[in-house]
Amino acid sequence: MEKRTDSPYPKIDRPVLAAVGVLLVISCALFAWSDRKHDWRYYQAEFKRRVADKLGSEKAKQVRPGLQQIWVADLKRADRCITCHQAALWRGFETDEEPLRTHSPAPFKNHPVEKYGCTSCHGGQGYAVDAAEAHGPIEHWEEPVLGKTLGEAYSLVDDKSAAMQMNCNICHRYDRETKGADAINLGKKLVVEKGCRACHVVNGRGGTIGPDLTFVGEKAAEQYEYGRLSGQKTSFAWHVAHFKDPRALVPDTVMPNFHFSTKEAQALSMLVLSWKKAPAPADYRPGTPRTDPQTQAEVEAEQRMKTGPGAWFVKTGCFVCHSIQALGVKSPAQIGPDLSNAVEDVQSRFGRTLDDFLREPTGTMSVVLSRQIVLSPEEKAVAIGKLREAFAEYQKQKAEEAKGRRPATSVSSSH
Amino acid sequence: MSEPKSRREVFLKLGFGAGVAALGAQAVASLRSLVPNVSYDAPTTVKLGMPLDFPDGMKFLPDERLFVFREGKTFHAVSAVCTHLGCTVRAEALSQPVTKTVRGVPLRMTHRFLCPCHGSKYEGDGTNVAGPAPKPLTWYFLSLAPDDGQLVVDLALPVGQDFRFTLV
Amino acid sequence: MSSTSKAPATSGKDTPLEAPGVHAKPLWSVKPASDREAGDAVVSNFLLHWFPAKTYKPSLDWNYSFWLGTASAALLLLLTVSGLPLLFLYVPSVERAYGSVKDIEYVITFGFWIRAVHRLAAHLMVAVVFLHMVRVFLTGAYKNGRGQGQKREWNWVLGVGLLLSTLLLSFTGYLLPWDQLAYWAITVGTNIASSVPFVGPTIRELLLGGRAIDQATLIRFYVLHVIALPAAIGVLFLYHMWRVRKDGGLARADGAMLLPEKAAEAPSKTKTYTLLGVARGTSPAVKASTLERPETTVNSIPDLTRRIAIVVLGIFAVVSIASVFYHAPLEEPANALVTPNPAKAPWYFLWLQEIVTDTTVKIGSFTINGAFLGGVLLPGALVLLMTVWPWLDKSAPGSAGVWFPNDRRTQNIVFLLFVAFVLVLTFIGTFCRGPYWHLYWPWEAWPELPTRI
Repeated sequence: MEKRTDSPYPKIDRPVLAAVGVLLVISCALFAWSDRKHDWRYYQAEFKRRVADKLGSEKAKQVRPGLQQIWVADLKRADRCITCHQAALWRGFETDEEPLRTHSPAPFKNHPVEKYGCTSCHGGQGYAVDAAEAHGPIEHWEEPVLGKTLGEAYSLVDDKSAAMQMNCNICHRYDRETKGADAINLGKKLVVEKGCRACHVVNGRGGTIGPDLTFVGEKAAEQYEYGRLSGQKTSFAWHVAHFKDPRALVPDTVMPNFHFSTKEAQALSMLVLSWKKAPAPADYRPGTPRTDPQTQAEVEAEQRMKTGPGAWFVKTGCFVCHSIQALGVKSPAQIGPDLSNAVEDVQSRFGRTLDDFLREPTGTMSVVLSRQIVLSPEEKAVAIGKLREAFAEYQKQKAEEAKGRRPATSVSSSH
Repeated sequence: MSEPKSRREVFLKLGFGAGVAALGAQAVASLRSLVPNVSYDAPTTVKLGMPLDFPDGMKFLPDERLFVFREGKTFHAVSAVCTHLGCTVRAEALSQPVTKTVRGVPLRMTHRFLCPCHGSKYEGDGTNVAGPAPKPLTWYFLSLAPDDGQLVVDLALPVGQDFRFTLV
Repeated sequence: MSSTSKAPATSGKDTPLEAPGVHAKPLWSVKPASDREAGDAVVSNFLLHWFPAKTYKPSLDWNYSFWLGTASAALLLLLTVSGLPLLFLYVPSVERAYGSVKDIEYVITFGFWIRAVHRLAAHLMVAVVFLHMVRVFLTGAYKNGRGQGQKREWNWVLGVGLLLSTLLLSFTGYLLPWDQLAYWAITVGTNIASSVPFVGPTIRELLLGGRAIDQATLIRFYVLHVIALPAAIGVLFLYHMWRVRKDGGLARADGAMLLPEKAAEAPSKTKTYTLLGVARGTSPAVKASTLERPETTVNSIPDLTRRIAIVVLGIFAVVSIASVFYHAPLEEPANALVTPNPAKAPWYFLWLQEIVTDTTVKIGSFTINGAFLGGVLLPGALVLLMTVWPWLDKSAPGSAGVWFPNDRRTQNIVFLLFVAFVLVLTFIGTFCRGPYWHLYWPWEAWPELPTRI
């Protein structure tokens, strides 16, 4: 009754199951290895070693281990470049080779890395942590790092790393000249010299014989006609060939051949490809107005105040609250009383002389004069002197007004 | 005795039915919420720019998925949406422009259109000539905006292949 | 066989616990010492409870079922398990979906591996479920054989539902990364739906949550992928398994009926535990005569469970190893302005895409859209035909559970031709279609596609 029916297959099944177990163990080893094999681990160890050699082991402790990322929420960029290029943000590795070299500090002055990340200027794929994927181009990430490799592939004339200037000009497109972007500057110079705007709209202004070029950098690569283009099929190559000889690519075009040199054609191609819609916040774009523009009349009035007899009060900032009609100073806010008659007004308001009040002010002025407008005793003396002048002028004006009122009103009423 | 019993049964059934119906209605109500009442579409009437700013020949507007053709003062607009499954067709320039009379109106065709999804081909007037496309590319109504004189396309108003918009 | 000669080893020890419903080892019995203990394990263990105590020996053969059903279930399990961490990592928002998948690929420890496992298992599951269906058809396993109370045709219907759920799960999952592949797959897929006369545009609007492909679309497909369809496939799967038990195991187990009846064998206690018999609705005594005979059956534990372990763990191991070397693709971020060239559906839909390409029919001036014919009518008719096939198949009950029986030769050949047709179209779509859907040989280079820089 209590028998045990044996399997007909035990001889095969047990070793097979054992083999499956071995495979499972192997799979664990494999994916653990696949996580360890990344190159960035090697670069981080190497960088740490170099920091210890050059700057001491204490400094080497500051080398942060593991994946590093700069997240720029404004631009929605998560750049992991500094995982390998850790040295970029250090000093003292200017002569080392990439990725262990210090980034030249000049661009950081106006483009802090925490505000711009890496890829907004350099291009490439910031998400990636392996060189091939990050530097590109790879399948499905066609925008490579705009560096020397790309420049050599395009045999850029002179500066092989000029391609990056395309990204500079996404924000700097309205600059006449951008420091350090020589190729783009050359392109902009040519746009003016050759009169591109005669036929094309460039930056929102120009003729309509040719296509509007304002956002031509957005044009998808496959929208170009490559039928007559030999060699690389890229937008950039198309533009270079087209600038050199427009009719060779578009037979019925009316665009004249300007006989651009290769360098000029490349500069212009980089320029037009940089004309993209840049969804960057306003404070990223140079030239964005930060104030309401003043009218010409307002500018002139301000200039008059600055050079007129009340200039001292404008310079110190008193005019923010006080007008001094007698000296031609008009406060934009007019919170405080007009200081033209301060000499008598202080007496009547506080029962103290102007000298006394300024030496030891009370109320609002005690706060203003102790925090915002701190005057030395000498400056206070100047102020008192000027206010006396103002009062003299005030009295003069008042007298003239009293004198002139009657004839003036009679004149106006006679009409 | 049978009278009240059957009435009770009727009430019972009525009550039970009402309960089931109410539950069903609740289910329907929650399903109804999934039927969209508004759509985050792009507007169908779009200003395309001043008519004289258009180049002679063809201009592709990717945002509207539209080809605008200009020949001197006449314009027409052909959709770039493949009539098969909605991929965006690509224009390919013809080596030699062809003039064809479509619905009694001559049309100078400079391009043909190819769909990357299933290989449909269209002639310059939008007529489907090969592949699975069931009908020609749609032509849309063009007009001038009354306020600023821009060229306006109405993507909800298909027109025939003899439609031309002429500037006066 | 040899089993009868072997003396039971440890029967004596169990004596005090032998009362009905009292089980010596409540959780697990990996190495049962006796048939009684093997049966006990099945009855008392929650996980093993859906197995019979005894299994018809030939049902376990590798070369009968190829264990494709078990493999499908193993892949479903693997997909569920690998989907769970992805559920925490993926963000179903138009702005962040692509970035979160990039994160999974690049910066989440083992993230790329988990995603590759999920992707690979999904591909495999489509293939294995399809092959399972092919096997069931060819062996006529949807036919009721000699057992009583069998309703195998309904289990085939459930199987059709499972196949469709698998395809839908795969399709909805395809869309989540919000890359070019996803965006244009939705465009094509929902336009197929809208080619249905009259109600098409409404269906499309329901699928998209509007008329434009946007956040509403993504969240709909996300909820379908992670809740609605998994729930559906889970319920269908459990029902499918339950029916297998109710119908007396694999169709091949009907073969046990063909064995000569053995006259009198003393009823033994083990019969109390033979759930198989209970499930079939016949009295234990009748059924025991053939199904429980030692030469025709083995203990489910450990012979069935060991093989299940081999299949399930083997699939885990193979997928896991392959995923280290296979990188799940991720295309450019979704771009409504640029259609990729060529724009291909996932490989298992490419035969449909081929049909959709070729089925626009012109009758005079009247045109039937290929999308409707090839994308809706034809697949719909196929599914319908598949569903009702068990009722159309009039072959003898004896050909259930047999490979290539004579009286099913014609339908098997037609079916195989159809399968070959699907496979050929899939092959053409996958390997021979290039830009603008032109035909190229697989070894032929495509023309260079332009890039920006």
